[in-house]
Amino acid sequence: MRNTFCVLLIVLAFSSSPRQAVAGQSGPSGTSPAKKSTIEDFGDRVNGYVRIRKDAEDFLSALSSSKDPAEIASHKIELAELIVSERANAHQGDIFTPKAAAKFREIIHKTLKGPRTQDARRTVDDKDPEKIVILRVNMVYPEDNPLQTAPPTLLARLPELPMDMGYRFIGRTFVLLDNKTRLIIDFIPDAIP
Amino acid sequence: MKTIRRFIGLALLPICLSLYGQKLTLPVHQGAVRFAAIGDMGTGEPPQYQVASRMNDIREEFPFDFVIMLGDNIYGGNSAADFQNKFELPYKLLLDAGVKFYASLGNHDAATQKTYKPFNMDGQQYYTYKKSNVQFFALDSNYMSPQEVLWLTKELQKSTADWKVCYFHHPLYSSAKFHGSSVELRQVLEPLFMKYGVQVVFSGHDHVYERIKPQNGIHYFIEGAAGELRKGDLKTTAITAAGYDQDQSFLLVEISGDELDFQAVSRLGVTIDQGSFSRIPERRPSDTRRGGR
Repeated sequence: MRNTFCVLLIVLAFSSSPRQAVAGQSGPSGTSPAKKSTIEDFGDRVNGYVRIRKDAEDFLSALSSSKDPAEIASHKIELAELIVSERANAHQGDIFTPKAAAKFREIIHKTLKGPRTQDARRTVDDKDPEKIVILRVNMVYPEDNPLQTAPPTLLARLPELPMDMGYRFIGRTFVLLDNKTRLIIDFIPDAIP
Repeated sequence: MKTIRRFIGLALLPICLSLYGQKLTLPVHQGAVRFAAIGDMGTGEPPQYQVASRMNDIREEFPFDFVIMLGDNIYGGNSAADFQNKFELPYKLLLDAGVKFYASLGNHDAATQKTYKPFNMDGQQYYTYKKSNVQFFALDSNYMSPQEVLWLTKELQKSTADWKVCYFHHPLYSSAKFHGSSVELRQVLEPLFMKYGVQVVFSGHDHVYERIKPQNGIHYFIEGAAGELRKGDLKTTAITAAGYDQDQSFLLVEISGDELDFQAVSRLGVTIDQGSFSRIPERRPSDTRRGGR
């Protein structure tokens, strides 16, 4: 009976549809954090980051395209610096809160370990040699390091992210990455089962 | 003496091969869509420049208008110097001649490349464009999100082009030892390709040239050796139609009416593969019904 209850709880946890979009998602005003689902709370935190980036872009005036790579590179650096200064106190776990991290770990585990997961696992394991870096929030992930391919099966199970943000594995760490700046927004260590 | 003779022989071999291999077999039909495909090129090393130079030479006989880039466009960073040494300088003659480049992103590429005008990505990580009766779909296989799959489904669905050509970095089929087939990606993409009549797919990632025997009616090419090379990495398997892993290479393609002609050329100008195939007209819904109950 107790086991059945546990299984039911897990099923309910997953049936709260992690595939809902994060962008533009926010609970009704006045909703207390306690009443929000883990995914909604995660979405709010991601949107908080997006607002900071948007403000920084507005301040710099967004760069849609350029034939000058120096201009693209300097815009990226300036944008990253502005975001970092706004998030100077950001820490690991601010966005992947313990509850969110547990939920993501469950989804990752389900996708990469168990029956019929070998193809997704192979996607994660297919990588080019990379230099080892110690990850921290607000660091720019080195551009000379390749990025591991994100398994499509996993992406289909995770909450949708706003434009120019992505989930990535770096080694065994699961990372929330800003694609525009390559800034590490947050991460979950040892996420690969 | 014997050693000297052998040395001279070996030294002359590339030149002889080069002269022999210069023969272009592509038809050059009037009004055809002509392009080159290169992947894993952005090293900035001499072989990339040599391939680029060979492409430029061949353009006199085979005037291709554009180049599709199969990812890993710029290795090792995205500074102005990187773009200059790994793209602008090697392809200068082609760029000056007005040849357009349409990039897709590889696992070594920064997302900011999409804002670099000469890559013609228009700020998009995945995009589509048409050339005459051919529609191209440049995908981001590093991050095949549900949004991208939905976008591709819609774009393929509404495409009325005779030819639908997809290209992206990771090969759905590959006989190379280092990376091999991206099976998970194949499970996501191939059903769409089959359903909406994609005829040809180009990829890179494995640093070899390989043409795969048609799989479910789709022709797959790997051209991941336009700068990088993994010599000896190709093992011939049951799906290999042709392959080459002894030198850098690039691929030339002409599409005219219902016919596609291709020729793969090595850095030294040797033809390493060539051939043609016809488009199988798409089955219309009425055709399907005809065979039904």
